[in-house]
Amino acid sequence: MKTVRFLAGLTAAILLAAGPAQSANTDDASWAPRASERLIKLPASYLKKAVEQDYARSPLAAAVNETRENMAVRVKAMEELRGAIDRAEGELRTELRHQFLAEKRAYLELLARNQKLRRQQAETKIRIYENLLSRMRQDKQGMTPQRVALIERQNAAHDRFESSIGKVDARLFRSSIASESRYARDYAKNVAAIEQLVAAINAHPMNEQPRLDGIALTREDYVRQLVGDNQATLAVLDQEQSILGFMAKLVALDATALSEAATGDDLSAPGATQAAEAGPTDAVEFFVTR
Amino acid sequence: MKHLSRFIAVAALTLAAGIVGPGHAGTLENMERERAILLDSLLTAELPPEQRQAKVEVARNRLVDLERMVLRDRTLVGKSTPAVRSAYENYDLTFLVHASVEHNRALLDHWLQQVGVSTESLMNARVGRR
Repeated sequence: MKTVRFLAGLTAAILLAAGPAQSANTDDASWAPRASERLIKLPASYLKKAVEQDYARSPLAAAVNETRENMAVRVKAMEELRGAIDRAEGELRTELRHQFLAEKRAYLELLARNQKLRRQQAETKIRIYENLLSRMRQDKQGMTPQRVALIERQNAAHDRFESSIGKVDARLFRSSIASESRYARDYAKNVAAIEQLVAAINAHPMNEQPRLDGIALTREDYVRQLVGDNQATLAVLDQEQSILGFMAKLVALDATALSEAATGDDLSAPGATQAAEAGPTDAVEFFVTR
Repeated sequence: MKHLSRFIAVAALTLAAGIVGPGHAGTLENMERERAILLDSLLTAELPPEQRQAKVEVARNRLVDLERMVLRDRTLVGKSTPAVRSAYENYDLTFLVHASVEHNRALLDHWLQQVGVSTESLMNARVGRR
């Protein structure tokens, strides 16, 4: 009798600890980043970090974390319930099995919610990276033959100017009473500072070109890689959705079996249930056994 | 000769005015304006030689800076406007001071050569009335 009371108390405690299946309204969970000019100009290696930081500050990230935490709580509750079921007998055992099924159902709701939010996260990332790619392509498409020719002429003019600047200075300023202008003096002074800064930027670890398997990637390649990574996440989520469907079906079958056992129709229902950890694949164990 | 000088000065000013677009003056527009003033100083017949020399020297030193500002202006890179395209079509004509020093020529000689006027062509010209 004491054991029965202990088990009933334990079950109540577990259910209180677990809380509601969806403690907060996560419908307003959103994340709307934009492919701003600032983002476009960031070094490729920092691009992903900037997007991740923006995501981490969003209501969507808060909602994903909340569902993840709630799932962990549910898993713990299911583990404890499973232990309680193992030790219980008779009506209490049946009651605990009902509660265990309810916990499974609540876990599946959270899992579905979590998957939906993670899908939203991956789709938003794909959208922002696709926007970045299209902005990069627009810049390339703007290179008309006329513009390309102009840039070539400008480069040639600049090279010619650089090669003649010493001669011009010697001829105009050093051999005459005219002195260098304020612009020339200030420019020369700033050039040294600019060269130092450019060297520091080039040597900066955050400015390193991103690499994949040791091969340096261009900025466009890197963004395409990020799009690919998020598409892989979506594909995995599709698979996880199938797992969720199978789990839901097993819960429904468990419920039918329990109902039959309660009415005395079922003679083959095994009594035990098993626990699992947070995450769809880790929780599979919970659902394949009753 | 006086008429020819006037014609060339007006032509240079017109060319500069054609290149300079409306609105806010940038490095290129400032350079074109200064170059037109320099050419005017070189070609005008009214100035006495000393005054012309002093005026040209001041304008030339200013134009050196302005030419460098244009060549270093990153906002002009790939800016495919008629003014920018026209400026980069002929380095010798646009960056007059740098190009003349490069070729060891006097400013006026260099410019005249670029617009197709040589000593020979002037000597062969006939003075007449229209």
